[in-house]
Amino acid sequence: MFSISKDFAPPLKMIEPFFRFGSIIYLISTFALLFLNSNSNLNDLNIVGWAHLFLLGFVMIVIFGAMAQLVPVVLEVGHFSVDLYYIIFPALAIGSILMVIGFWFAPAVLPYGGLLVLVAMSVFLFETLMTLKKAESNTLTVKCVKAGNIFLTIAIVIGFFMALAIGAGINVDIGRFLPIHIVLVLFGYVTITVIGLSMILLPMFGLAHGYDDSDVERAFKIVVGSIIVFSIASLFKLTYIADISLLGIGVGIIFYLKQVATLYKIRARKLLDIWYKHIYVAFISLGLSLFFGILWLFFDFENGLKVAVWLIVMGFITFVINGHLLKIIPFLVWFERFSELVGKKKVPMLHEMLPDREIEYSFWLSMSGLIIGAVGLLIGSDDIFKGGVVLLAIGAVFMVQTVFYILNFKVED
Amino acid sequence: MCKVTEKQVYDELRTIIDPEVGFNLVEMGLIYNVAIDDDCNVKITMTLSTRACPLHQMITQWVEDAPKRIDGVNNVEVEVVWDPEWNISMAEDNVKQALGAL
Repeated sequence: MFSISKDFAPPLKMIEPFFRFGSIIYLISTFALLFLNSNSNLNDLNIVGWAHLFLLGFVMIVIFGAMAQLVPVVLEVGHFSVDLYYIIFPALAIGSILMVIGFWFAPAVLPYGGLLVLVAMSVFLFETLMTLKKAESNTLTVKCVKAGNIFLTIAIVIGFFMALAIGAGINVDIGRFLPIHIVLVLFGYVTITVIGLSMILLPMFGLAHGYDDSDVERAFKIVVGSIIVFSIASLFKLTYIADISLLGIGVGIIFYLKQVATLYKIRARKLLDIWYKHIYVAFISLGLSLFFGILWLFFDFENGLKVAVWLIVMGFITFVINGHLLKIIPFLVWFERFSELVGKKKVPMLHEMLPDREIEYSFWLSMSGLIIGAVGLLIGSDDIFKGGVVLLAIGAVFMVQTVFYILNFKVED
Repeated sequence: MCKVTEKQVYDELRTIIDPEVGFNLVEMGLIYNVAIDDDCNVKITMTLSTRACPLHQMITQWVEDAPKRIDGVNNVEVEVVWDPEWNISMAEDNVKQALGAL
């Protein structure tokens, strides 16, 4: 049984820029929502620019930072070369900013940003795949990391060519490739990665043992199969089959939610802490986004699609990430600054490293903003949507404050 | 004849706190057995609350170090086992109560 040691754990100074930058971009992207028109089409370049700001600058950067710590834990091997993360951060951070500038202000910049993002992700994929080669176990989490990385590779290559089409005018059928790019990133990488990591993290934090994991195994197969079918069908413009495969992704997610419910039922740790609150909102959002996604698919309800995307992005992904940041960052700081002091002097517990008031403010404001924003999108009211965004943005201020508080946490001698 | 007692070893092990849950390893029920032979060699059989515990190596090191603080202890061996798998029923009542499992 391998376990993380000082030799394999990433140094805090390597990982903390991912979290500091990611949280600041989260804050900026929530404020940026105020300048978007909620009645715009999802293909609008302002919306596309915002999506890249949020997904690259916040979601991907935080996931990559977390992976530096989680990969040795979930794969039970040391990194191939953890130092490569020193390249990943600046390339991804600068690339993300250039891409957003490209979408919003200067399309000519887009290919340069795209190239930097491509380099960052290629290095990340190379490091992860080389680490995977050392892994002996083939658990569901390992399979998720493998599948997620393959999907991400295809997604970034497609994304790069689309950036070249917009910025340098090469001939690419964006209408054909954009849905594939979105599905590969949102479901192929982000959702499958969350499914894989959650099967380690949910039982670990909830102290759940002795459960049957056949539902999540089934979910993995259905989601992966549906994503492959969707990509091929979209490539050949087989709309009917693409729609059915989207439904397949939804069915897979229902099995995943069933597994999460099983873990919830048998958990030993029933105390409702801030992590659990985030997880509740995340999974309820995922379930509701499925509902609205189905409304859009069967009844062509355009606002249903907007609500589904809003709930999956600002509900599921955001709350899963923010909730886990409240577990991962204290652990990394504790591991770096206090683990050597155990037995020699009193060390803080992980929950004592959290600023209680700020995280409660962040949670309640963000959740209120999520709900009000969803109502605004549902009834087509930009004013109500913006009201929700304001609450979300204030919640993000407290989230940034929390992240910086934990990263700067020290105990007086 | 060794004068070190199991109680002394357990008392030292009670100083090791899991920073995530905030309880010591003994009250969590993670220590399955403590055996002391005539030469004061200590063998501790234990488990962890999850196989993916990121502190696995550090916790086993802390467990190995703890009995060495007792006068007379010779070698300490720590064996981590996964059978039986840990579950909340192995924890003391105060832990169950604090976690909301009682």
